[in-house]
Amino acid sequence: MASLDGNSVLVRLRARPRRRRYGPIGAHTFLIAAVIALAGPFVWELLTSFKSLTESTAVPPTLLPSNWHTGNYSSVFSGIPFRSMLFNSVVNALARTCGQLLFCSMAAYAFAWIEFPGRRVLFGVFLSVLLVPSQLLVIPQYQIMQSLHLLNTLPALFLPGMFSAFGTFLLRQFFLALPPELQEAARLDGANPLRIFWSIMLPLARPGLTALGILTLIWSWNDLLWPLIVNTDPGKMTLSAGLASLQGQYLTDYPVLMAGALMATVPVIVVFVVLQRRVVEGIALTGTKG
Amino acid sequence: MTMAATRTGARSAASAGESAPAPAGSRTTGRLGRRRPGGAARRSNALWAALFLAPTALGLGVFYLWPVVQTLYYSFTTWGPFGGHTWSGLDNYRQILHDPDLRSAFENTAWYCLLGLLGIPVSLALAAVLGRPGRRGVAAYRTLMFLPVVTMPAAVAIVWRWLYNGDYGLINALLRKVGIHGTYWISDPHTALIAVVVVGIWSTVGYNMVILMAGLQSIPRQYYEAAEVDGAGPVRQFFALTVPLLSPSLFFVTVLSVIGSLQTFDLVYMLIGRTNPALPQTRTVVYLFYQDAFIDNNRGYAAAMAFLLLLVIVAVTAVQFRLQRRWVHYG
Amino acid sequence: MRKKKLAVAAASLALLGSAAACSSGGGTAAAAGGKVSLTYGVWDTNQVPAMKQIIAAFEKQNPDISVTVQLTPYTDYFTKLQAAATGGQAPDVFWMNGPNFQLYASNGVIEPLTSLTPDTSVYPASLVKLYQYKGVQYGLPKDFDTVGLWYDKSIFDAAKVAYPTASWTWADFQTAAAKLTNPSKGIYAVGATLEGQENYYDTIFQAGGQVISANGKNSGYADPATIAGLSFWTDLIAKKQSPSLQQMTDTAPLDMFESGKLAMFWGGSWDAVAFGANANTKTGVNVTQLPSGVKKATVIHGLANVVFSHTAHLAEAEKFETFLGSQQAAQIEASTGTVIPAYNGTQQAWVKAYPQYDLQAFLDELPNSVPYPISQNTAAWNTLEANLLAKAWDGSEPVATVAQQLATQMNAALAKEKQ
Repeated sequence: MASLDGNSVLVRLRARPRRRRYGPIGAHTFLIAAVIALAGPFVWELLTSFKSLTESTAVPPTLLPSNWHTGNYSSVFSGIPFRSMLFNSVVNALARTCGQLLFCSMAAYAFAWIEFPGRRVLFGVFLSVLLVPSQLLVIPQYQIMQSLHLLNTLPALFLPGMFSAFGTFLLRQFFLALPPELQEAARLDGANPLRIFWSIMLPLARPGLTALGILTLIWSWNDLLWPLIVNTDPGKMTLSAGLASLQGQYLTDYPVLMAGALMATVPVIVVFVVLQRRVVEGIALTGTKG
Repeated sequence: MTMAATRTGARSAASAGESAPAPAGSRTTGRLGRRRPGGAARRSNALWAALFLAPTALGLGVFYLWPVVQTLYYSFTTWGPFGGHTWSGLDNYRQILHDPDLRSAFENTAWYCLLGLLGIPVSLALAAVLGRPGRRGVAAYRTLMFLPVVTMPAAVAIVWRWLYNGDYGLINALLRKVGIHGTYWISDPHTALIAVVVVGIWSTVGYNMVILMAGLQSIPRQYYEAAEVDGAGPVRQFFALTVPLLSPSLFFVTVLSVIGSLQTFDLVYMLIGRTNPALPQTRTVVYLFYQDAFIDNNRGYAAAMAFLLLLVIVAVTAVQFRLQRRWVHYG
Repeated sequence: MRKKKLAVAAASLALLGSAAACSSGGGTAAAAGGKVSLTYGVWDTNQVPAMKQIIAAFEKQNPDISVTVQLTPYTDYFTKLQAAATGGQAPDVFWMNGPNFQLYASNGVIEPLTSLTPDTSVYPASLVKLYQYKGVQYGLPKDFDTVGLWYDKSIFDAAKVAYPTASWTWADFQTAAAKLTNPSKGIYAVGATLEGQENYYDTIFQAGGQVISANGKNSGYADPATIAGLSFWTDLIAKKQSPSLQQMTDTAPLDMFESGKLAMFWGGSWDAVAFGANANTKTGVNVTQLPSGVKKATVIHGLANVVFSHTAHLAEAEKFETFLGSQQAAQIEASTGTVIPAYNGTQQAWVKAYPQYDLQAFLDELPNSVPYPISQNTAAWNTLEANLLAKAWDGSEPVATVAQQLATQMNAALAKEKQ
């Protein structure tokens, strides 16, 4: 199919001259309904976090807590080493993000701008990693960590996560959208690829890097199975794994668990709120094109 | 020349000029439109490429590709729970062919995949409405709609089990107000799969919406303005203008959605318990894999199952990439 | 009686105090000798304080050994343990349960206790046997639990039914169930949960049937007595004296019982903790022995402490394990009221932990207790039980048919186990 350009689109639109207007009220109604559906369950999570244990398991369930037990929030701090887990989560997320930003951008640049034999095949192999279910990887990755003697350490948390096929894919799309003239000009000036990458491409790639950075931050924050398996010291666990351990075998303090889960969501939300426009810009500029 | 102008300039040049653009991915003439470089240049290119690719290639190879190779190897063995394996050839694969549980799991997985795609029009509608230039409160809406994406999976399960509860859940309570008698959504074999799909869509709508909003931003405003001038209403604009121009992002989102649904596990594991009468109607291939590998200590068989699933995902994704020529417009 | 509890409490406090005093000063002294560090793998967050007290007492007696607790939630505990053990990195000492025991013993992952020659007469005999593989002792019992009949006093009062007693038979139970069910108030007599240990294993044994043969090679599900044990529950569901399987999947019977929707609840001794913490059941429920069918029976299960066979510090690990199996450790466990310690004679402190309940009933059942059914790969046929019996429980297939299918498939699974 021929590519769509502005003219051909307008030609098709001219066929129907009638106008219809939907006011902003309709739009906002729709949006608010969506917000209720998407964010509504959090209200229940929030309300549960203030209930007593008895109330939280009551049948039929109650909506509002009869007494507001703020003690559940402080119980989280006594149940798990919240501060060190928070620290570990932050280190984990930052390390994975920085690793991906550096390594994926290098690989993406190579796929987009350097011609070398077997480029397409290699890219296909990289992409195929995206298709592997993560449960398949857990035991082999654990065994690799064992042989590297990295079990129960902080690096064990983030080492496999520093390499990503998704990040490479995303950034490659972004680099492809940049004008070829830049590279041409730099080449003619005699710059080598390293120089081009570092001084020209990378600064231009900032929106794409921001997008990838946020997405990686969010994914690593909630990663549960890997930190749980690879580290055993509570002091070396991430927050998500630590909260999971609040579930006892026969008795779980649900309100405390909800309180912990909410507190763990706050940092990510803050990051998202502050940087969301850059995320959108960044993804926009990757073009997500072929 | 500002950066913004350079970018839009490049895009409009591509869209207005080329009459027969090369299909996505072909590099016969290279991005720069020149003939391929000569021998010495090619060698130095290869070296540079190796340098840039090394870290990611090494990392992915060790941590992701090597496990896949290992899994393939172990699928031909009886893999003991503590290491130690004996070669068993095609036994595992032969057993797979006769496994009725696996067959139904593949069916269920296919349903998750198809029904999960219904989330994309929802994300698209949200993105279109929210992304309209001049919309107020975008940041707040976007943040609130992104909450499901960032929340802890255990909390998601607890909340949705309450919503779906047949006797006391909120959904049935609301239905009762309109006189409808709701069923036991996650334990009724007829409704359980759909119930899980709804939670899956719920948790990814915000993410897809953000990607589609980004794609929307890259459509030049002048198209819309011209369409307004010609008298096209919002709905008309949407179908004739937005959707086609957004198709690359839609493709991206669709591919990711399909891959994700084919790998469904967490949701089923958390929402559907082992004694749930609806388990046979909801378990997926990855669920069976997890059960065989980590609970039943049948790891060689699980490896074969996983490898089979991987092949299916590869095939489906390849088909999608093929089909993109039919409906995705680049440039 | 109360004096004894106080004495135990005082003893524990004294131990704690001295342990605290010791640990602050012991560091420098031990450094010279080279402290050995052990790890202790556990899965229940509610028991961690008790474990730490025991460790403190142990470290006081062994200043050159330090022990750290490694907590992994139960759902992931064995996944992680398997991965760790495969690479030779499991905790030095860890908790083991019945279903997984033979898998670890038969693969040489845990150390036999032959060199320790422990005195096993101090533990219940059925528990000791549970942790023997091919005649060799691999674990020291840590605690045990049995199943009892919990009941809601107010529902019984309202229906004018006499409280259950230890001499109840199935007939008494079924008669009472009919009277206690009150559809208008949404109250059911009992929850027929699809759970082996708390429900259908007990009735299978009470009916004179078996889950698995004594030699561990054949399934017991084809036995008519076993099928009678299963029918006990499906009949209750059919008569609507129990909620349906779908209802119980959506809402846990435990929650229903705590909220006054179930008159009776077949639950383990561990439920004392949950009921004691819940405002409704704190004083509103009590417990007695399970009713008898053809005979009296209850499932007994308990955890054991085992030593990793590839530990770097075998001597120290075995020392720790011996301490864990000692009377002192048992008394510390008992004083926290979380579990029933296995060491004979220390259980009274647990009974006293919740004086409002007749917890003695759980101990009185010991003579009639049957060990939890296991084999080398218990998990494989547990999955079959869950999947197949669900069809009988939700009424879509008759019990006898399902039981036959289960027997066939379970035998196939057992045949795959190595000898």
